[in-house]
Amino acid sequence: MPHVLTVRPAFPDSLTIFAATVAGLLCLPPAYVAYLALTADPAAWSRLWTTRIPELLTNTTVLAFSVTVGTLCLGVSLAWLVSRRDFPGRRIWEWALVLPLAIPTYVLAYIYSYLLGAGGPIEALWQWFAGPDAHLPSPHSFAGATLVMTLDTFPFVYLLARAAFLNLNVSYEEVARTCGASRAETLWRVTLPLMRPAIVAGLSLVILYVVADFGAVSLLRYQTLTYAVYQQLTGRYDTTAASILSLLLVMVALIFLVTERWFRHRSRFFQTTGRYRTPPRRRFGSLGAALATLYAAGVFTVSFGIPALLLVRWSVTAVSAGVVDSRFFGFVGNSVLLSGLAATVGVLLGIPLAYLATRRPSRTNMLCLQAAYAGYVLPGPVAALALLAIVSHFAPFWYGTAAVLVIAYVVHFLPAGLQSLEPALQQVTPNLEEASRSLGYGPAATLRRVTLPLVRGGFTAAWVLMFLQSMKELPATLLLRPVGFDTLAVRIWLEASEEYYQLAAPAALLLVIMTLPAILLLLAKDWRAA
Amino acid sequence: MTGVASFCYSVETMNQYHFHKAWRRHLAGRLVFLLAAAILPVALPGPSAAAESEHLVVYSGRAERLIKPILDAFKARTGIHVDLLSSGTTELINRLVAEGPRTPADLLITNDAGSLERARELGLLRPMNATEIVAAIPPQFRAADNSWVGLSGRFWAVVYNTTLVKPGDLRSLLDLAEPRWRNRIAIPNAGSEYLQAGVSVLKAVYGDDRTRRFLEGLKTNAGTHVYGKSSQIVEAVATGQVALGVVNHYYVYRHLAAQPAAPVGLLIPDQHEGGMGAIVNVTGIGLTAHTKRADSAKRLVEYLVSEEGQKLFADLNKEYPLHPRVAADPALPPFKTLRTAPVPLARLAELREPAMALIEQTGLR
Repeated sequence: MPHVLTVRPAFPDSLTIFAATVAGLLCLPPAYVAYLALTADPAAWSRLWTTRIPELLTNTTVLAFSVTVGTLCLGVSLAWLVSRRDFPGRRIWEWALVLPLAIPTYVLAYIYSYLLGAGGPIEALWQWFAGPDAHLPSPHSFAGATLVMTLDTFPFVYLLARAAFLNLNVSYEEVARTCGASRAETLWRVTLPLMRPAIVAGLSLVILYVVADFGAVSLLRYQTLTYAVYQQLTGRYDTTAASILSLLLVMVALIFLVTERWFRHRSRFFQTTGRYRTPPRRRFGSLGAALATLYAAGVFTVSFGIPALLLVRWSVTAVSAGVVDSRFFGFVGNSVLLSGLAATVGVLLGIPLAYLATRRPSRTNMLCLQAAYAGYVLPGPVAALALLAIVSHFAPFWYGTAAVLVIAYVVHFLPAGLQSLEPALQQVTPNLEEASRSLGYGPAATLRRVTLPLVRGGFTAAWVLMFLQSMKELPATLLLRPVGFDTLAVRIWLEASEEYYQLAAPAALLLVIMTLPAILLLLAKDWRAA
Repeated sequence: MTGVASFCYSVETMNQYHFHKAWRRHLAGRLVFLLAAAILPVALPGPSAAAESEHLVVYSGRAERLIKPILDAFKARTGIHVDLLSSGTTELINRLVAEGPRTPADLLITNDAGSLERARELGLLRPMNATEIVAAIPPQFRAADNSWVGLSGRFWAVVYNTTLVKPGDLRSLLDLAEPRWRNRIAIPNAGSEYLQAGVSVLKAVYGDDRTRRFLEGLKTNAGTHVYGKSSQIVEAVATGQVALGVVNHYYVYRHLAAQPAAPVGLLIPDQHEGGMGAIVNVTGIGLTAHTKRADSAKRLVEYLVSEEGQKLFADLNKEYPLHPRVAADPALPPFKTLRTAPVPLARLAELREPAMALIEQTGLR
């Protein structure tokens, strides 16, 4: 097969065209919303500015900030603990701390509104201790939303920080130590700065997750932009106010995204191999080991242990009351089918975007990648409505089918996948492939022996993240589900929003259980990279 | 996974070494094929696949628990299976508008007459003139052209915590705006149809200024106690988080049925001489304009307004049956003795937009 090495193609090649088309399609829903918002009556804008917008903007940014601080502290400290120190039970905590990812925010939120709510078990305990008139601050507040969102999203930071700790070339640290830096100094001045891309990637995932979250804030009644958009959409006949608020939401997210890009662009590192050897783990003394275990166990208990136990207990009650029937298992099939498809399509579409932005960061290619990120922060309900309008206009035969829902998931969660695809591709220096080619491997062998082993972990993580998030997606599913095609998430919402905790529990428990294998896949033995 | 791998292969080869153009086109074609194969299977299971006549699609704005048992009873009687899409009323009307003639829905059930009237105005419903339907429901509870009929009645009630409040503490709804209830009341959120309908009635009776002052007081007094569901409001009152709440009456009776010892009581405001009267609304049902199964759909409506169907509403939900020969639950105050606000249900639609503007101006959540 003849092939010619060219420096730069004169015309965009088919891959660039494909990526640009994907990016363009991904931009359609936000563009439709922006169009609605910008053509809205100026009176609607000024009314919203004077009534709702200041409160919503403040609430949204303050929540994002507090959850960022919380997840940063939890995620990085726990990642350091399990990857650089050794203590009895470390291996168990290492994987156990990822499990909160299996609990959707709305499930954790309803569990905590039961636990911490008036008349709940923790208040009863507090009253036994402090007298019958003692009350706890309500979980339906800023503090409650911060707690639930932090407990639910810290594994994102933990996972990426842990992978970075493990994959870091230990030579840098050894050099620092040789030059006389103390351990703390090395951690602070060498290790953590080198991990910045991974940490920032994790945090921006958390921020986008918080800003776009509907489940927790709706159940905890904390007014953020996304919640307000949903309320406007479901409570009004016109979409003007919802689209105005959505546009603001996209702006807020863009600010975070641009900041993240800027950060990562300033600090791009290439390693010549995955790593030289496993970084050494130092053993704790007995007191240190006890404290480390207490810390890891405590975080695990509140973020996963207690919620899971409660779900099991409630489910037992519900199952014996006959809640689980054949209809219930239909919902299970629907959830798996939709999420699996969305994740697969997402990875297939994400690879060219991430590849082009990483390898050929031209203006066009970077723009395509940035465009793909907008969908994540487009709140589920508005993405849904925009899609309904677009589909009914251009592809009416798809109307009311599950395909529209899959598209919504892809638009919404592709950024989560890209967050993994991009660093994975960044890890492979072009020199490695070129070396492989010049040493006699063909393109196929280079791919199989060099590139794939280096990126496999990242690709798997991308698929799993998109699968998990699609399974848990709520607002778009509510609005786009075809008749008779309810998913587990929808069932949980229908029951939990009426505070029928026990009726919601079997679906919630099953969702958690079904998500667990995916998480174990994340932790599979050969999975080292983020 | 082979799909992903072969695609990676194409990415690498294409861009690093710029293979022959035809080879590239071939790869791009294969990618499109892969995507199509991934998407198409889900395009198949849709509402159009199940178009037999013994099958109905109902969009319902009511909580599923409140309507499903009655639809199950209908299936047991007729063999007609009902697929239910439960969601918010306004949301479902938006969906019907967006779906246009392609809608899979045969019937629309809502928790608010104003929304049904609105759906009628939007051309989403078609008249049902079967005598069984018209004869069963009194005219004040159906559309002028019978595009929708009421199924059950409810009124705005104040639920109070019996340890915190005495029934005499409150006489009129307007009292809820007084400063003494600061941070002590729970209200529904601005998107709930029954709040919107209630504000429509207040506006019609008291005018804009007084209604706005009332809403501002309500907003201050509720603070963060703004709920998406009536059951949550009753729960907040029962646990003493707030002293009072505004809900539809039957949620109080349902709560008491489940927990007879709960410290909650029900108060019907504005019943005094010269008072406005209670705000009444109905749940109702309409036949969609584009249904292709009108006959089966009408059978369901006939069943719901029949004495058997109406009795289920009365027994299961503690709502007022609208069929004159079906008695309400004996625990409820007789409907005839209630003083009701003098605003016809059909007017709720035209009042809706200005009422929502008022709600928005006061910044209610």
